[in-house]
Amino acid sequence: MAAEADQKVVVHVRSTGDAPILKQSKFKISGRDKFLKVIEFLRRQLHQDTLFVYINSAFSPNPDELVIDLYNNFGIDGKLVVNYALSAAWG
Amino acid sequence: MGGSPVGDGTLSLDGFNASARALEKRWKEIEVDESLPDWTWKPCSNLGVPSEVEGYLALEGVYRDCGGSQVQSSSGNIHVYDFHVVYSHSYKAPVLYFQGHRSDGQLLTLDEIKQDLPSDSLKVLSESKWTFITREEHPQLSRPWFTLHPCATSDWMKLLLEESKVAYEEQLLRYLPAWLSVVGQAVGLKIPLELHCRP
Repeated sequence: MAAEADQKVVVHVRSTGDAPILKQSKFKISGRDKFLKVIEFLRRQLHQDTLFVYINSAFSPNPDELVIDLYNNFGIDGKLVVNYALSAAWG
Repeated sequence: MGGSPVGDGTLSLDGFNASARALEKRWKEIEVDESLPDWTWKPCSNLGVPSEVEGYLALEGVYRDCGGSQVQSSSGNIHVYDFHVVYSHSYKAPVLYFQGHRSDGQLLTLDEIKQDLPSDSLKVLSESKWTFITREEHPQLSRPWFTLHPCATSDWMKLLLEESKVAYEEQLLRYLPAWLSVVGQAVGLKIPLELHCRP
């Protein structure tokens, strides 16, 4: 199911713990974008700088990873599911 | 393999050992950036006798050219890092210890290390001086190393592992790759994506 880099990827953001649920929980993003763009979207929507963002209950992607690489390796049912919690990993 | 459940985000010593060996093996199987060495297991030594139970994982000799330019840089601009993953009995979690030195062997100060840290880490560092990167005695080497404070580790590890439907043994093996994805970001160590893919 490998997709091309210029393809749009559907990102589905899911809150965990006591993080608020977003009205817009699904959006499309270019596969060429970095994961940082997803993190920044969440920070903006939640007005929160410290977030814990992770994928598939498995790992927290580096902000430099390309969305398309994450989608090709960890996409499920045509979308990339991204979890977020309000906790900070450090500090 | 007894010990504490992975479900609460903590890890038993047996679990740490199993996860460490699995990481060491997997790292060799996947395609890793050429600049990254292999992880090696170092047994702890009790009065000169290597322990069969306790040890730590080491990734030594990670080069970082902090000059930022393509021009052949003078050796003073090369930073070399060693990363150790040591099990903490009090936190029941792995803890990252690290140190950096210049090519002439001179140890890096925190100010010099800051040049290599991602901007998010610099921000955390400026806000929480005592609960992020601190200098403490390396538990096995008895010398001061920099360390990442583990007090929240089990909280975020719980998030990373709670929903996975895989068996307990496999969760154990996934513990260190998941943990590395977070600590790697804090210290600017790029972890290959493939480590998180199913073998």
